[in-house]
Amino acid sequence: MKAAPFEYIRPKSVAEASVALGRRGATTAAIAGGQSLIPMLSLRVALIDLLVDISRLDDLKAVTATPDSTWIGSLTTHSQIEDGKTPDVFGGLMRRVAGQISYRAVRNHGTIGGSIALADPAADWPCCLIALDATVRVVGRSGVTVPRIADFIHDSYATTLTTGDIIMGFDIPAPKVPLRWGFAKVARKSGAFAHSIAIVTALGKDGPATVVLGAAGPRPRQMVATATQLAVAGATEEQLRAAIATDLDANFEGLDAYQKRMHTANILRAARDMRAQ
Amino acid sequence: MTAITVALNGVKVVDDVEPRQSLADFLRDRCGLTATHLGCEHGACGACTVVVDGLATRSCLTLAAMADGRAVSTLEGLRDDPLMTLLRRHFHESHALQCGFCTPGMLITARDILQRHTRPDDKTVRHELSGQICRCTGYANIVKAIVAAGQDLPQASAAPPDA
Amino acid sequence: MLRKEDARHLLGHGMFIADVRMPGVQDVAFVRSDMAHAQVGRVIKPVGGGAQVFTLPDLGTLHILEAGPELAAHRHSPYPALSDGRVRYVGQPIAACIAPSRAQAEDLADHVEVDLEALPAVVDCVAAMKPGSPRLFDSWPDNAFITSSVFEGDPALAQAPIRIRRQLRMNRQATVSLECRGLLAYWDYRNDELVVYLSTQGGHVVRIGLARALGLPENKVRVIAPDVGGGFGGKNRIMPEDIAVAAIAMKVGHPVRWIEDRREHLLASVHARDHFYDLTICASREGVLLGVEGEVYIDAGAYSLWPTGSFMEASMASRNLTGPYRIRHLNLQTYTVATNKAPMGPYRGVARPGACFAIERLVDEVARELGREPFDLRRQNIVTAAELPYRTAAGMRLDTGDYVAALDIARDMINLPAIRARQAKPEPDGRAIGVGFAFYTEQSGHGQVEWVKRKSRVVPGYESANARMMPDGSLIIHVGTQNHGQGHETTLSQIAAHELTLDPSQISIRYGDTATTPFGFGTFASRSIVFAGGAVARSCRMLIEKIRRIGAHLLQANVADTYIEAGAVHSPSGSVSFVEIAYAANVRQEHLPAGMDPLLDVTATYEPSETGGVFAYGTHAVVVAVEPDTGVVEILDYAVSEDCGTMINPMIVDGQVQGGIAQGIGTALYEEIPYDEIGQPLATTFGDYMVPCAPEIPTVRLHHLVHPAQATEYGVKGLGEGGAIAPPAAIANAISDAFRGIGASFNETPLTPRRVSEAIERARRIKSADKSPAP
Repeated sequence: MKAAPFEYIRPKSVAEASVALGRRGATTAAIAGGQSLIPMLSLRVALIDLLVDISRLDDLKAVTATPDSTWIGSLTTHSQIEDGKTPDVFGGLMRRVAGQISYRAVRNHGTIGGSIALADPAADWPCCLIALDATVRVVGRSGVTVPRIADFIHDSYATTLTTGDIIMGFDIPAPKVPLRWGFAKVARKSGAFAHSIAIVTALGKDGPATVVLGAAGPRPRQMVATATQLAVAGATEEQLRAAIATDLDANFEGLDAYQKRMHTANILRAARDMRAQ
Repeated sequence: MTAITVALNGVKVVDDVEPRQSLADFLRDRCGLTATHLGCEHGACGACTVVVDGLATRSCLTLAAMADGRAVSTLEGLRDDPLMTLLRRHFHESHALQCGFCTPGMLITARDILQRHTRPDDKTVRHELSGQICRCTGYANIVKAIVAAGQDLPQASAAPPDA
Repeated sequence: MLRKEDARHLLGHGMFIADVRMPGVQDVAFVRSDMAHAQVGRVIKPVGGGAQVFTLPDLGTLHILEAGPELAAHRHSPYPALSDGRVRYVGQPIAACIAPSRAQAEDLADHVEVDLEALPAVVDCVAAMKPGSPRLFDSWPDNAFITSSVFEGDPALAQAPIRIRRQLRMNRQATVSLECRGLLAYWDYRNDELVVYLSTQGGHVVRIGLARALGLPENKVRVIAPDVGGGFGGKNRIMPEDIAVAAIAMKVGHPVRWIEDRREHLLASVHARDHFYDLTICASREGVLLGVEGEVYIDAGAYSLWPTGSFMEASMASRNLTGPYRIRHLNLQTYTVATNKAPMGPYRGVARPGACFAIERLVDEVARELGREPFDLRRQNIVTAAELPYRTAAGMRLDTGDYVAALDIARDMINLPAIRARQAKPEPDGRAIGVGFAFYTEQSGHGQVEWVKRKSRVVPGYESANARMMPDGSLIIHVGTQNHGQGHETTLSQIAAHELTLDPSQISIRYGDTATTPFGFGTFASRSIVFAGGAVARSCRMLIEKIRRIGAHLLQANVADTYIEAGAVHSPSGSVSFVEIAYAANVRQEHLPAGMDPLLDVTATYEPSETGGVFAYGTHAVVVAVEPDTGVVEILDYAVSEDCGTMINPMIVDGQVQGGIAQGIGTALYEEIPYDEIGQPLATTFGDYMVPCAPEIPTVRLHHLVHPAQATEYGVKGLGEGGAIAPPAAIANAISDAFRGIGASFNETPLTPRRVSEAIERARRIKSADKSPAP
């Protein structure tokens, strides 16, 4: 289980990295933490000519906060977020999500940018950043784009990234009132890829809710009917279940009875956790 | 080939490596440090865990080229480390190893746990050990050893992190 | 006593197969079949790399090892080291590539082109036995390695008022030693012999097979096992890679090695379990269990592995299907079926996890049918202490113990009434709580009678030990068995120390080199403490006899008046230390009695007085919480009462039980290698193959009953496998208990969240259909 040969460079700047990634006639890949890419290389399911190591580009490491938003550089690792080394204006949601990703040694190197770039349907950050309505700043040969994560990830392992593009980081709007949240996951075992990821948030006591479900289809989706129902004071579990059923049918194809039941239970658990806050 | 310089167990090592070579293979095959074991080569078993710049790291998920300029510690380099010495005693006394194949990765991870948690309880240790596979012991004695080692540390704080 | 093995591993000085450094070694990578069943056409070697790529004809003359029991009815499945024109499972080796590094060898393997012409794949062992199924071996009339019947007792017992039929499945899994397999082979020109470093559970038996396959005399083959990073059965068969790499080493004249990677391990190493049962249990209305009837299918994969093959699964499963109960009727048809999957081999517990799962689930089903507490039904039917030794309907002689006490202790440890009280109220988190019991017996230390009965090709009826006292009085004991983590260096030195009145630190236990150790069979079948422990005791006693004679001579006393204590021979006239005696025996023969041969060097073999085996046993009791809609199971409590006779090292015993249970929980809830309909394996990395970690495995509460065996030294019983036998049964019973109100049954492992939730849903639908008024 050893990788096929490839060339390796470690550019000094984002611009240099962008040029390298765009090398004509070559299959290139950027490596940040490498925690997903290296196994794919070792298993020879990913075959590349050139590996561009962006892991030391300081421009991708910035973490800042303003009253309006938090900026998290793409090279920020899961463990930095888990350990509270990034601003936390989301009531601890990001810390919780980070702490449940894979295993600690993997979290020490895996990055939020790498996770979004890979767009694994069972990954946590796409769900979380969609729930927080984040945007991603992409620098490439055609300039800078700032899509919302929900638009940026358009399919399983598919984003709008094109050759030479580099993710700089994420802009996450600061909630105006304290955020309440629930996060629930179904996995075969601790640290394993999830079969269901549910994130439920609400602004303040009675504010609007957001519900995102991941690992249920090619990409995470907002559960709009469920969110609406959640914001209704005194909504019963039966009403919530009906809304979830509507959302599952609207957003995901081909779910069987077990998957529907499992996702429903998982969303309800996240909602319970959120309401308990 | 890529030129790298690594502070390996406190000694400067300069070498040329194939870009595809993992840090694990570099440590084992180039440097002869075989305490670092390979149990899966895809990051799921933890047997190859080493310390890179103070962080517990899967050496199978890191390229040797990416370790250029870093400080790398393997179990061999922690022979006289006080925290590791304490952990070794508790692993021995608690019967926390059987075949010994997972042990180096377990010890490195245990040390990392005690550097981040003050007197961790059973539940914390179990959560932190997720991703470290032991096929022999059923984990109970590993958890016990780490909890006991934590109890032996001064109450004020977790063990000091690496400089 | 703490373990002698620990120090080297704690310092990272263990020497596992991949740690062995050998100048000039080259690595091997295999080209493997990516189809389940195919004719192999051309194998095109890469331009310029031809000399580094080996196909079967390139390996020279090799001999096929006929594997499986020596029964005419058992069909031969010739298993070549590399493909002979046909491949029968995904992962079967077709060619071997050598290069200075494994990465380069894999590069080469990537450039070998193989033409495969697909044949229909056989992937379900029941369908494989239907007429018209595609066949693996053209010369066989069907796909059965062997079919057999077990018919015992009184068929009238089957005419019982309660007859419950269930289908149960224990799916296929891997053995997953954390260290994968591997070997390093070279021709030693000085000794003119083949040296094979191999991660194995039994080098001596491997040598027999390797020598035969390679056509070498056995005195030209030396097998060395370095530290073995777990085996659990998976390193106890000759595998095609072993023969291929050894053959290449003889061709190329420099060392070659192959280190199995995890994908290869999951794809093509020993697979295990994969039993399907279609059984009917018969009982009276009073709850007396009367008989078990039905069919047992073993999905044995594509080939029999040398030496024993996989018939052991069917024979052991069927003979264990009465469990510990007074069930006097058994009528079973067994099918050991060839399928296009990796070959099956032994794995901790061999067959008994499946049999225990089947019978213990059926007992719970009877209890449910009768409205009885499952624990009480078990207690009613289990063999009592007064009935032991007890011969079961299938002819197993359960020897010593108190099974009822084991049940009662487990019930009290888990606090059954408290669980029942808790179940009366709904859980605040909406989960359901269940408690389950399973009783197991573990045949261990079985010798000649049992293995001859099984028609085994090798009869592991003894173990051996060579005890040698050095001139300074220190002792080296070479044993024929092999350690793969169980602490033999510690336990066996404790036994020697006890016999010789020495401190264990004065004793070295050595194993794992056919050049230095006496012949032995290795470690498997929970046999090491019984056999190797007995052999060590016996060799030490023989040594003592000579030491006393020399001591008596030096003391000018009668031997009968001497005794040994604290490393010295004592007599009324004084004492003489072993050090002086050993010095005399080795280098100062003039001090020996006239006519006595020098040296303190004794080789002994040992076989227990009863060779049908001694039975460890125990009760597992488990409490689970289950979330019905997700199907996620959490183990809340796990208690075990067990009896493995006398314990030489209780700390190691506890470690074996806890570790075995972790593997059993893996079988019960997590581990599976599913195959799709064309025979592609769907779990080839740890991303898909779930090995439980610390959050998944509880600390088990343990109680030991100690009823020594009568047939063994010190009254020991083997216990390595017991922990792995009962968890699937206990956990499935606990989950079933949680949903007893709706009559849900959980009869297929691993009990994944999906399987659990779907079984609940099926039961809910049936129950609500029952309630609805008839149309």
